[in-house]
Amino acid sequence: MIDIRNLQVRFGQGADAVTAVDGVTLSVREGESFGLVGESGSGKSTVLRAVSGLNDEWTGRIAVAGMEQGPKRQKSFYKLCQMVFQDPYGSLHPRHTVDRILAEPIAIHGLGDANARIDRVLRDVGLGPAFRFRYPHQLSGGQRQRVAIARALVLEPRVLLLDEPTSALDVSVQAEILNLLRRLRAEHGLTLVLVTHNLAVVANLCDRLAVMNRGRLVEEMSVEELRRGAAREPYTLQLLRASQGYDRATAESFRDYA
Amino acid sequence: MTARTDTPSAPRPAGWRDWLTTDTPQSRAQARLGRAWAGWTAFRRNRLAVAGLLIVLALVVVAALAPVLAPHHPYAQDLNNRLMPPSAAHWLGTDAFGRDILSRLIHGARLTLMIVALVAATAPLAGLIIGTVAGYFGGWVDTVLMRITDIALAFPKLILALAFVAALGPGIENAVIAIAITSWPPYARIARAETLTVRRSDFISAARLQGASSLRIILGHIMPLCVASLIVRTTLDMAGVILTAAGLGFLGLGAQPPLPEWGAMIASGRQYVLEQWWVAAMPGFAIFIVSLGFNLLGDGLRDVLDPKGD
Amino acid sequence: MTDQKMADDAPLLEVANLRVAFPTRTGMAEAVRGVSFTLGREKLGIVGESGSGKSMTGRSILRLVPPPGRVTADRLAFNGEDLLAASPRRLREIRGRRIAMVMQDPKYSLNPVMTVGRQIAEAYRVHSKAGAAEAKRRALEMLAAVRIRDPERVYDRYPHEVSGGMGQRIMIAMMLIPDPDLLIADEPTSALDVTVQMQVLAILDDLCSQRGMGMIFVSHDLNLVASFCDRILIMYAGRVVESCRASELHAARHPYTRGLLASLPRIDEPPGDLPVLTRDPAWLEA
Repeated sequence: MIDIRNLQVRFGQGADAVTAVDGVTLSVREGESFGLVGESGSGKSTVLRAVSGLNDEWTGRIAVAGMEQGPKRQKSFYKLCQMVFQDPYGSLHPRHTVDRILAEPIAIHGLGDANARIDRVLRDVGLGPAFRFRYPHQLSGGQRQRVAIARALVLEPRVLLLDEPTSALDVSVQAEILNLLRRLRAEHGLTLVLVTHNLAVVANLCDRLAVMNRGRLVEEMSVEELRRGAAREPYTLQLLRASQGYDRATAESFRDYA
Repeated sequence: MTARTDTPSAPRPAGWRDWLTTDTPQSRAQARLGRAWAGWTAFRRNRLAVAGLLIVLALVVVAALAPVLAPHHPYAQDLNNRLMPPSAAHWLGTDAFGRDILSRLIHGARLTLMIVALVAATAPLAGLIIGTVAGYFGGWVDTVLMRITDIALAFPKLILALAFVAALGPGIENAVIAIAITSWPPYARIARAETLTVRRSDFISAARLQGASSLRIILGHIMPLCVASLIVRTTLDMAGVILTAAGLGFLGLGAQPPLPEWGAMIASGRQYVLEQWWVAAMPGFAIFIVSLGFNLLGDGLRDVLDPKGD
Repeated sequence: MTDQKMADDAPLLEVANLRVAFPTRTGMAEAVRGVSFTLGREKLGIVGESGSGKSMTGRSILRLVPPPGRVTADRLAFNGEDLLAASPRRLREIRGRRIAMVMQDPKYSLNPVMTVGRQIAEAYRVHSKAGAAEAKRRALEMLAAVRIRDPERVYDRYPHEVSGGMGQRIMIAMMLIPDPDLLIADEPTSALDVTVQMQVLAILDDLCSQRGMGMIFVSHDLNLVASFCDRILIMYAGRVVESCRASELHAARHPYTRGLLASLPRIDEPPGDLPVLTRDPAWLEA
């Protein structure tokens, strides 16, 4: 479904140039739930933004649903592939009601039947019609994230890209959103690409994952292997150990893998 | 920390106050009105701001009802009663032609309001368009538009207005055009600054990811966020606009006699200011009060509309 | 820390019935509703979700709750001294010198226009009579104590020139240089990557045990607190609903704690729906 070959993303010019993504190659099968894991500066979000079309300064090859993509995307691409952002407080326009937020993609693509679509998608994400005319500041963090997911789903995409969708949420709300994503994936046959630093979330929601560090792909593995702790690269092992809670002895052994 | 349920509130809201403050609005209109109501209750708490609003409203009412309110005709001359001090017959005295100053002030309110409304309708709008376009597109569009703005800002407002009026001929309409043409740069700067802050937000990225055109994003997403700052700035600038118009009138380049424009009235009262102070002072007080009203209103609006407070 | 050792020391901090209230349009709203605990020379974790009142608890100990917020308690004593009755001058002496606080994001808690070295030195000079040279020497010592490899070079850096992990270590150096007895850490590692988190926690761990400090660790991360601290308090809606030893967290009794533990995704568990925490209104009164 998604095929990335030798993706390179550079920011800045000349001597100050920073290579955010350095030759990443990976593919995601249709219907798969794929996790892209790394710490800050690993380039995982940059890869996602390049795939989504937000970032147009990359080299390499990106193909989605078999179609090669260039730096500028066609409007039809956005009906195929949508994105959910990390910060529920920043991804909804503060002056638009939920109704307006959901009606906009429908209007942009000239799909009719706005009322029915909005009602349906709101119910799909577990919010009822009572939320339809609220403003974002009248919603909790979890509710805002549901609206963001609804907005992504209203165009009925086949691919959903998620950039740290639960990092800004409370633990109890995170569980609800993960369950919601699982259900939506099953009901709509979605392909999910989830960027996160949290290995437990990946273990819960994904089938396969890739680990990135400093712009490079370090390792790919199945979630089964993750659960068994069967990582091969030292960086991945270090990440696994750090995710399991504080331990004085192991903290000592951490190294900087460039 | 109770969870919000998603069933609508059980008993039907009683009264319009509940209808406005409900947290489950049933329609777009209800949501918008509810928001406006929340803004009004916040504004109402600031007494000085309400005072400012009342002054501005008074200006509007006086201007609307001028023929009814004015005790005398503003152009009626009575050369036997020139330069009379305030009395029962003429509450604010008479000017050099025996005309009732109070009536002239009341009719002059129309001119003041017209000047204010015309400038407020044109300059901020122009500034908004230029600022948002420059801020959103960046690159050479931004550079070109902002350099034009810088050049326009570099000219002192009054001098430039003088030049326009001198070129177009004296008269109140030309004075208004001159003021409007020279007032837009600060609004462009404000709009651009707001646009730059908002441009990288996730909700703008989300709009782009839906295939929204730049026009749609600027009109529907960016401009609504700039409007609050612009409203505040416009209100605060109104005092300056009135004074500029008064200045032009004072110099004889704005309203022409016998129009009762407040600045022109001060100008004609200038030579009597030591003996018959009321001829110049009364229009001066009027300008002072109205400017104060706009300033208080603007401060109050800023407290309510500040987008960072959302 | 054995139980025997803790019993030997008088409690460092005593808090009884702490309440923090803020005026709202509909009356006083309490963010903290009757929190009580004692702290010895140990690491105490306070865990809660947003709105639980955990940060407010930490700040009220240092009397850092801004008006119109009101802090009341039956007892709020540090080393036997009543903090509620202390004069503002005495509080200023205590803050920094005896009780220190480390906050979440060094981007916001370090002064952006001063070099980091100078900030640490200044923190030292505020609480002692040392001169500039002596303060610089101590600051460099402190930078080395937080495992910064090149203290001389980092001394002259500005906050925006250092990474998140280094910024947090600088924050710790600045807060610990006056050698306080109690450290309140409010989400000190939440903005950091996991591996950097571990390293910063190791530094905190070492410094606290070397100096015999008490620490209050406020966080939303239950697993982290359980592995790092000695004792844990779980807060919900301004109240402490559970208090236990870190090693006994799995045997927690309160339904909120059990619900929270169950809703955490785990690496070693198979994928599947996570049990969702249903909030019982009775917990607000518990």
